[in-house]
Amino acid sequence: MKKLIILFSVLSVLLFVRPLLFSTTNSPDFNNTSVAANETPQEDGESFYSDAFKGISQFYQYTGFANATWGNIIMILIGIVFIYLGIKYDYEPLLLIPIGTGVILGNIPFVPGNQTGIYEAGSVFNYLYFGVVKGIYPPLIFLGIGAMTDFSSLIANPKLMLLGAAAQIGVFATFLGALYLGFNLPEAGAIGIIGGADGPTAIFLSSKLANGINLLPDGTTVKNLIGPIAIAAYSYMALVPVIQPPIMRLLVNKEDRKIKMKPPRAVSQKEKMIFPVVALLLTTFISPSALPLLGMLFFGNLLKESGRTERLADTARTKLIDIVTILLGVTVGASTQADIFITKDSMLIFGLGAISFVIATMGGLFFAKFMNLFLKGDNKINPLIGAAGVSAVPDSARVVHAEALKSDPSNYLLMHAMAPNVSGVIGSAIAAGIILSFLG
Amino acid sequence: MANILLFTDQISQGYIILITGLVIVFSALLTLSLFFQHGLPVMLYLYKIITKGREKKIKDIKVEADKEFTGEIAAAISLALHMYLNEQHDNENAVLTIKQARKLYSPWSSKIYGIQNRLK
Repeated sequence: MKKLIILFSVLSVLLFVRPLLFSTTNSPDFNNTSVAANETPQEDGESFYSDAFKGISQFYQYTGFANATWGNIIMILIGIVFIYLGIKYDYEPLLLIPIGTGVILGNIPFVPGNQTGIYEAGSVFNYLYFGVVKGIYPPLIFLGIGAMTDFSSLIANPKLMLLGAAAQIGVFATFLGALYLGFNLPEAGAIGIIGGADGPTAIFLSSKLANGINLLPDGTTVKNLIGPIAIAAYSYMALVPVIQPPIMRLLVNKEDRKIKMKPPRAVSQKEKMIFPVVALLLTTFISPSALPLLGMLFFGNLLKESGRTERLADTARTKLIDIVTILLGVTVGASTQADIFITKDSMLIFGLGAISFVIATMGGLFFAKFMNLFLKGDNKINPLIGAAGVSAVPDSARVVHAEALKSDPSNYLLMHAMAPNVSGVIGSAIAAGIILSFLG
Repeated sequence: MANILLFTDQISQGYIILITGLVIVFSALLTLSLFFQHGLPVMLYLYKIITKGREKKIKDIKVEADKEFTGEIAAAISLALHMYLNEQHDNENAVLTIKQARKLYSPWSSKIYGIQNRLK
């Protein structure tokens, strides 16, 4: 401990002496910097102190304390809240902790022009952010998701796929809402996809539509909304356990919540292998713009189900997705640099995002009730699983499961809820493809 | 696309995208679900026929072929099976583990004070 204190004090002394020595040996260099040093040389003693003072004030100009704005401090606090939520309440800690740290990193005040910030060309963060801006990370994440996901509950009960489609009403409703709020078409499309409740898809679409580079028909460039959209999508995904249960309780009555579904039939390995190939062909033929997402998703699933490429599947679902999640989380977090992030648009996007989650959940629940009108006997579905149609894999399925257990402790819905859950992923990727083909 | 955007109102364009988008998403997932509901079983059945030939039903198996197979033979086979199966011994886990029992120290059982250890 003593040694540490000595080391620290020596280091701090060196730190203060260094600019001072620097200034005495080659003072002309100092004339270029922001702190003016163009006084006439005076007596030795006096110049020593004034140079020392100059050095310190020069150093101070480069510190975060001198450059901090209120925006920075607010964002750093938000970052700390994210980390707190992730650790304390276990809300998607794998996302919130990297993003929270990223928010702090992105909002450390700095002097522009030294290739520090994420938006300065040539900085390290800028290179890592490249994967977000060009939409490289999302397909890699989808590869891992594909290698993780078991589609068997969906194959066993294909009609549940429609619930995944129903929840996409959230995407299009938000899109319309954003248009009414005055966003132009590409921006509104990118905002709408928050309702898909799928982080990678949201980043993919916003990096194509609202990237701050594309030109609009009237000659202006679109706004760069990747940061707000990604943060909104991920934070609402983490808040699924808070947002969804009240809506479920509101829309589904007690008797319906107790409906027990018959266990899904066993699915043969052959069907599991055929699924990714057929689903890939069908969905990408319908919506080719979603090719990077759906292609990688089903490729990952084929790696898993083929039974011959266990090594590749294993890497995709563990190491690869972890690496990409780390990079994605930190850079998306860091992209919330206060001077770019804190705008009226961001606030609107956050509002729209919350509404879109609500609408998507409601869409799924209503459609499940609607489907129940046509189903009889033990084929009836529990309307709660409609809420899992918003993707947010696997959190929303877990929420559905927990909610069903509350009204009947012997009703296990997790397997059934996974079906609309994974079809929600497919559905939101298709929706992204459609929006991209209309507006891209 | 750009031309259309220039000449029409944004909101009406939005409604067009809303409707067509929803229809396309629904139809895409509907086709997928219909395929897995109806198309896939047919495909798997065809595959089975191609690789293994048609499944034989009981009435397809000719009785003439089994004329030699009398009830006595069947009884003998089933007796043999019965005896063989009853002889089976369930497999035991062959792994031996030595579990360390924790004993509290007690001078009454201590080896130091054992018989071999005479006081000198």
